[in-house]
Amino acid sequence: MKRSFLDFSRINAEKLFQNRFNILISILIILSVFLIIRLYFLQVVSFNHFDTLSKTNRIKYISTPPRRGIIYDRNNIVLADNASLYSIEINIKEAKNIKNIIDAVKKEIILSQKEINSFHKKRVKYSHYNSIILKSNLSEQEVAKILSIRHKYDGLDVTASLLRKYPFKEITHHVLGHVGYIDKKDLKSLDKKKYRNTQYIGKTGVEKFYENELYGKPGYKHVEINARGRQLRDLDIGYAEAGADLHLTLDIELQKFMYQKMFEFSGSSIAMNPKNGEILGMVSLPSVDPNERLWKYGFDQAEIKKLKSPLFNRSINGLYSPGSTIKPLVALNSIKNNLIDPYHEIYAGPYFQLPDSPRRFRDWKPEGHGMVDLNRAIVQSCDVYFYNLANNLGIKNMSLFFKNFSFGSKTGIDMPFESSGVLPSNEWKKKNIGYKWTDGDTVITGIGQGYFLATPLQLAYATSIIANRGLISIPKLNKDILKKKDKEILEKEEFFKNNIKTKDWEIITSAMFDVVNKQNGTAFWSIRNKNNKIAGKTGTVQVYSLSQETDERDDENIPDHLKDHSLYVGFAPVDDPQIVVATVIENVGSGSKFAAPISNKIINYYLDKVRKRY
Amino acid sequence: MILNKNIGVSDKLLFLTIIIVSLLGLTILYSATNENFDVVIRQGTRLIFCFFLMLFISSFDINRLKIISPYIYGTSIFLLIITLFWGHDSKGATRWIMIFGFSLQVSEILKVILPMMLAWFLSLSEDKEIDFTKLAISFLIIFLPISFVIKQPDLGTSLIILLCGIISIFLGGIKRTHIIYIFGLFVVVAPLMWKFLLLPYQKKRILTLIDPSSDPLGSGYHIIQSKIAVGSGGFFGKGFLNGTQSQLEFLPERGTDFIFAVFAEEFGFFGIMILFLLYLIIILRCIHITQKAKNYFSKILAGSITCIFVLLIITNVSMAIGLLPVVGVTLPLLSLGGSSLLSIFFAFGIMFSIHRRV
Repeated sequence: MKRSFLDFSRINAEKLFQNRFNILISILIILSVFLIIRLYFLQVVSFNHFDTLSKTNRIKYISTPPRRGIIYDRNNIVLADNASLYSIEINIKEAKNIKNIIDAVKKEIILSQKEINSFHKKRVKYSHYNSIILKSNLSEQEVAKILSIRHKYDGLDVTASLLRKYPFKEITHHVLGHVGYIDKKDLKSLDKKKYRNTQYIGKTGVEKFYENELYGKPGYKHVEINARGRQLRDLDIGYAEAGADLHLTLDIELQKFMYQKMFEFSGSSIAMNPKNGEILGMVSLPSVDPNERLWKYGFDQAEIKKLKSPLFNRSINGLYSPGSTIKPLVALNSIKNNLIDPYHEIYAGPYFQLPDSPRRFRDWKPEGHGMVDLNRAIVQSCDVYFYNLANNLGIKNMSLFFKNFSFGSKTGIDMPFESSGVLPSNEWKKKNIGYKWTDGDTVITGIGQGYFLATPLQLAYATSIIANRGLISIPKLNKDILKKKDKEILEKEEFFKNNIKTKDWEIITSAMFDVVNKQNGTAFWSIRNKNNKIAGKTGTVQVYSLSQETDERDDENIPDHLKDHSLYVGFAPVDDPQIVVATVIENVGSGSKFAAPISNKIINYYLDKVRKRY
Repeated sequence: MILNKNIGVSDKLLFLTIIIVSLLGLTILYSATNENFDVVIRQGTRLIFCFFLMLFISSFDINRLKIISPYIYGTSIFLLIITLFWGHDSKGATRWIMIFGFSLQVSEILKVILPMMLAWFLSLSEDKEIDFTKLAISFLIIFLPISFVIKQPDLGTSLIILLCGIISIFLGGIKRTHIIYIFGLFVVVAPLMWKFLLLPYQKKRILTLIDPSSDPLGSGYHIIQSKIAVGSGGFFGKGFLNGTQSQLEFLPERGTDFIFAVFAEEFGFFGIMILFLLYLIIILRCIHITQKAKNYFSKILAGSITCIFVLLIITNVSMAIGLLPVVGVTLPLLSLGGSSLLSIFFAFGIMFSIHRRV
């Protein structure tokens, strides 16, 4: 052993070492103390802060959408129901390589190029969603296949969701409307908290109008998730409350019958109970199967073009000139104002001319009707007679009177997006067309042409007021609500009570009865079975006007889209009306030939077959 | 037999504490690996191996160890070169080589071998003070292995090895004027290193340390999740196997770099204090051994090992609570991994060997 360890220099070195060692240890002790203080701050002082962070890390709030209310017809037949739908979803935020996932799915099940393309389109359109559907409506076999490969791909999942089913498909489409995916536009107006995790929302029709009732109350779930977002267990559950079921006034048997009768046409037909405003049937054609729409997020544009605006609800949005169906009201107005003696015959030639004007207002009957009284003018739909009445009434008077029958304003039916139509007046023309009202405008308003536009629902509504002899029932689809008559309605009823005598109503209704039941009535040939005492009025609306030079119309050579609209309003039985029907058929020809027979068959069907079951 | 003063482990308290902390390490590893018993068994096997290695080393006379120091150093340099050419890759770095079926990270063991080599070199002429030549050679000894480690690339470990070497030179009696020169040189060289030497990922690591929230899902994610784990532990912790941050895998690198965060989350501030107390016992015993060491080589080596041990703990804990960048320093005796365990037990073997000479 060396002795150098005891040398003077060595002792110095040892001292130096001790010194250095002490310095290092001191530094390390200071650092350690600092660390401990730091740990104390983290774990004890800021515990709450980090505790919250840790909980938000692992706990996820999931909202569980409620079951949507079921929609029934008046006899508790299901019109809209929920079914389970299995879909392949790709979480675009979690997925590492979407193309790989799609390829993997393609190996397992049949996946068309169309589905893949539509997925990519949806990715852009619905970028605010995490998950986008790749394929819907999977079979159980397909579900099993995808579940077996799911664990290999982050973001790939099979989800079960409630699907809205409409068993009567296109027959009820326009009146029920449909649900659809919540899009960016919907997001703006709805309660995001309530609709979190909900895929569908009522888009049109009853589904939209009663969205709040049908939707229900969502539940929630607190689930524990791991760092990769996989759900591990439920911590807390609040169950969802199902939406309220809806009982409609529709009778699906009648609805089916109406759809069948209208099947080959474009247009709308509405059946309504005048006593209480209940809509018994309401069809708009063409129509499409709304079930398809849910899976495809929209229609094939080519298909839409092929059909004539199948998404357009003609019942409440289609605007048509009321044509001759308005004549009973013009007559009633003239009686009320003592402008005519209903039993006095006047001469009705081939045309009407205003003083100081060369313009000829032709009758539909080229040779004219000859001597006619009011009854005959309605029964044969004599235009010249009504040109005269309109000219005598003036636009202001007519406009005010029509207003009482709800023309120019919404009927107040429980459906969204109802149109108000156009009630022509001096003010209206100035504001919307920019020109002054002319006497010529007044004359053609008398036969429901010109600027006058109404929806089929408005026609049915106005007819129900005639059928009720001045009592008003607001149209409704929900059987369980009572439409309260507001001040405006009560005022209208008061107006009819004070101004129109019962006998005047009878003049009009009996003339309408004769339209169907007199040999020369425009609707006489429309129905053979006259047991139900139907009253009605036809209307033929010109889509293009005849030039002043020619007298003859060559009906054979008119292109389809310029052919006349065929209109009819009717009710029965005339003395105790149970049903009102208004029908508009586009571009087919006269009211007597198309709308009248269909409407009267609907009335007979309802009174003979449907009502018998109750 | 193993506690026999002449052949085995002589300091009973140090010995027992090491065993306790090691077992604690296995326990927390069980939780950190989501109750993966296989990993724990494997680590336990390594532990037993290292334990016998410690006994083997401690049975050597310290002067024998001193004589073979340069050979051990030479071997480690050789292994580093092999690592560079035949090592296997993990996460973009080549740090490991396979020896007899074991995966070895040579740079880990350098943390002990380098001080050993320096202690040997500085005690060659122990009666002369450290002049410039001696200092230059010392730094050569330090930078030779570091140059290989940087190549791997592993900046974190390089820095730690550099610190280990500096500690040894400092304890070996470097002149105060030299310290000032070196510090001055560092101030000049450091910015140049930042510009030319650091790889982008290393710069990013250091930058996210300064502001972890700037990249909450990237490099900052580790630091944020680790801090949440430590902070949400509270005073008594969430309980064994109940740490949500670690069990639900929000915390990355749970077994290795962030094992402290797992421990802190499940056992809280109270548990940490117990752990630190155990570490303190080990450290106090090491200081005792250092002070009682009979020769210059032993003193420098024991002092270096003591300081490095504390330094590693401080570095790892600072990483876990976001005070230092994530440089890949393990927590002594607790972290998963054979190489760090090997170097720690190698160091304790040396400490026991020195103690027997007291």
